[in-house]
Amino acid sequence: SKPEEQVLTLRMAHTLDQEHVVHKAMVKLAERLDHYSHGTMKIRIYSGGQLGSERELIELLQIGSLALTKVSAAPLEGFAPNMQLFSVPYVFRDEQQLWQVLQGEIGQELLAELSPVRLKGLGYYDAGSRSFYTTNKKISTPADLAGQKFRVPNSQTAVQMVQTLGGAATPVDWGELYTALQQGVVDGAENNPPSFYLSRHYELSKYYVLDEHTAVPDVILMSQHIWNSLTAEQQGWLQQAFADSQVWQREAWQAQTKDALDKVKAAGVEVIYPDKQPFIDAVQPLHQALKDTPVGALMAKIAAMPATVAPVPLAPVTASPATAPAAQEKPHE
Amino acid sequence: MNKTVFWLDEALKRLLIGLMATIVLVVCWQVVSRFILGEPSSMTEEISRTLLLWIGMLGAALAYRTGQHLGLDILTSKFSPQWQRRVAILLTALVVLFALAVMVGGGGALVQLTFELNQMSAALGIRVAWIYLALPLAGFLIAFYGVCQLICLWRGDTLTPTGGCE
Amino acid sequence: MEMSALVLLGIFFVLLFLNVPISFCIGLATLGTMLLSMDVLPALTTLAQRMAGGLNSFALLAIPFFVLSGLLMGRGGIAKRLIECAMALVGALPGGLALVNVLSCMLFGAISGSAVAATSAIGSFMLPEMKKQGYDDSYSAAVTAAAATTGMLIPPSNIMIVYAIASGGVSIAALFVAGYLPGILLGVALMIVCAGYARVKGYPVGARLPLKLVVSKIAAAVPSLLMIIVVIGGIIKGAFTATEAGAIAVVYSFVLAVLVYKEVAWADLGKILLKSTETTAIVLALIATSAAMSWILSYENIPQSISTGLLALSENPIIILLIINLILLVVGAFMDMTPAVLIFTPIFLPVAVELGVSPLHFGIMMILNLSIGLVSPPVGSVLFVACAVAKVKLEQMIKPLLPMYAAMIVVLLLVTYVPAISEWLPSVVGL
Ligand code: NA
Ligand code: NA
Repeated sequence: SKPEEQVLTLRMAHTLDQEHVVHKAMVKLAERLDHYSHGTMKIRIYSGGQLGSERELIELLQIGSLALTKVSAAPLEGFAPNMQLFSVPYVFRDEQQLWQVLQGEIGQELLAELSPVRLKGLGYYDAGSRSFYTTNKKISTPADLAGQKFRVPNSQTAVQMVQTLGGAATPVDWGELYTALQQGVVDGAENNPPSFYLSRHYELSKYYVLDEHTAVPDVILMSQHIWNSLTAEQQGWLQQAFADSQVWQREAWQAQTKDALDKVKAAGVEVIYPDKQPFIDAVQPLHQALKDTPVGALMAKIAAMPATVAPVPLAPVTASPATAPAAQEKPHE
Repeated sequence: MNKTVFWLDEALKRLLIGLMATIVLVVCWQVVSRFILGEPSSMTEEISRTLLLWIGMLGAALAYRTGQHLGLDILTSKFSPQWQRRVAILLTALVVLFALAVMVGGGGALVQLTFELNQMSAALGIRVAWIYLALPLAGFLIAFYGVCQLICLWRGDTLTPTGGCE
Repeated sequence: MEMSALVLLGIFFVLLFLNVPISFCIGLATLGTMLLSMDVLPALTTLAQRMAGGLNSFALLAIPFFVLSGLLMGRGGIAKRLIECAMALVGALPGGLALVNVLSCMLFGAISGSAVAATSAIGSFMLPEMKKQGYDDSYSAAVTAAAATTGMLIPPSNIMIVYAIASGGVSIAALFVAGYLPGILLGVALMIVCAGYARVKGYPVGARLPLKLVVSKIAAAVPSLLMIIVVIGGIIKGAFTATEAGAIAVVYSFVLAVLVYKEVAWADLGKILLKSTETTAIVLALIATSAAMSWILSYENIPQSISTGLLALSENPIIILLIINLILLVVGAFMDMTPAVLIFTPIFLPVAVELGVSPLHFGIMMILNLSIGLVSPPVGSVLFVACAVAKVKLEQMIKPLLPMYAAMIVVLLLVTYVPAISEWLPSVVGL
């Protein structure tokens, strides 16, 4: 190991459990960075929201007292309005198209829009699709949402989405949601299968309806200020380390999603596979309302994308830096 | 100094009474909207959390003014009056410094940051800067009361409830 | 210990002993520690953000509500009816009025969230009565002070809300239910002490009231006691949150105090609202700065190093819990309960969890421990209020308090080493 003064430690905080595959991907990111930088750059990870909620962590990056974070794209909408795209329900045909968009021009432009608000977007992690779960009422059509209060992430679009579907919505911090469900402040929430399982919300929920309304990716962010303070070589190492962790994360995510669904079923949660069309029809007013906005333009562009048959390569589109010392190595062991 | 302190006290007290009454009504409305109207309100929670920050910060300024914050005087009470005064001047200056640096400076930077970068709150859709404004405002009040106290201490008096030195 | 921990504790204790308000001690110590690893502007901005973040919690709102309803109840004729009810129930036993005092404090504690409110409300009615019957002022004040601490454990309890937030997610509802048995146990232990003391001192026994009067006194207290069912029942049933229950408690006590008993005038409401904001703001200021402190503690990995250090002392949970209890008793002697809970929960809870102690059980243990601090010199808010109400000197209260400290410590040991006392009732109601 290196003498301490030569090691640059980057602090990275997030709000997830250490069991979460996204946390493990960040551990992978730290390992790869250590590897590429020959031990001169380390990442210290703070899990479980010990340094703050997602919104607060983003602010800490802007302030410059935290280097890295993982947040959902949803709260980013309060910082860069076009991130709203991901909170609009049923924008993407399928998962394949989502990743085409994320790794393509639109995804990279959205990351670039964070730069004026002092954030450097390193890229996206898979966060699957979000679906509703409820403590008491079985949901199989949009009409069933009436009179139910759902927790949504800190995003106005998420509030509007639930309202358009006929439910009531309130933003509650993820960390306070277990208690909120238990005490009946909310009747349900919505999230992807791994988060539903790992947060133990399934203990309090009877139903999980896989309507897959939104696909909100996770975003790895860095403080623009700290990013600028790195040398080009260090930036390259970080990009490469992130790209490696991203490949690992996308594969691990698929496995964890399947595993989580099996486990919540085994715990007695009824998993419902609804007809999605009534849900898609129900959110059309929301799509119409966005028509003449920049987000609407992005949606039109995505809708016009030709369906591809070839699978999207898992390898990242970002060019791997020439200076990366072990670029030809297998990205995950 | 007398008049300014007195009117500031009065304004602060009235504002706090208003905020406290509002917060009770907002949360009651939340209960009513859920149980009686069957349509849970999605804004009451963010409104009440915002009000809580304002009550906490402005209330802390008032509590500083009235000398109600918890402290420990077992050591200082054994000092001679002259030393008690010296220590009080030093520590009041430290509190003023904290209020100015952290609450006005840091809080102000936070307001500026969230304002310039146009950060919006989730449920109300207002600028987050307005929520954070409670910090520099309360910091300014604490610093103001601290400076008045310092002026009195310098003369060998203390700040009275009516705003003068005695 | 690490440099950052030394700086933090150093600044904190120097300022504490120089009589700087505790919330500023915490804020300044945090700032000093932050400056070790950050530039000035990011440090100031981060500190401000963490202070605001500390108050950004819906659960915290319950505190102003329970403070406000406590004030309304204290002045609104509710305390008086509770005392008369207690008198009808235990007034005829040995040490009659002292027992009435303890039971009144427990009943008041069962509808209010603050021990200070109980001390002033019950003390101002009970102390003159006890004096008339020949009790020592200092003894009566000691009984009131010790008994008032039962209200910290018997829900609703503001300190439990503070702990729930500091622990990062223990259910407030579960804590509330968990407090009943330890609170009642503490009350009974104090009553035993009072009965014994009365025998020794030959204090008078109250006359047995005719059954009809007993029934009517209990009936008069029913509207006040009904609040337990509305507030706590509603929380346990999941009908509303602790915060909403607080708002309901405000409305309920407002209706009783202003509209039914008419003992609080409309014109007084402004003053009561202002008093409640002041009391609340002192707690909120502490929570705001402590949130920043616990942030810098995590940022510098201090809890982990303290936890590792403590666990290196012994592997035996009994000994570690004893050490934690001793540290907290010393802390409680000097520091008020709220800052102590806010500062030491993030430090000790990880150790306790490592030892297999549940966060719920640990919370009850910590609150009971620090309740002793509320009535122990040199700093104890309940002790100070009791002295003020009884107009006695602090020194005079130490001797009568000694047997009560003993009772409290016995209950503390029971609660520490018998988890079922805290955990059984919540598990019965399914929390
Ligand atoms: Na209580
Ligand atoms: Na004490």
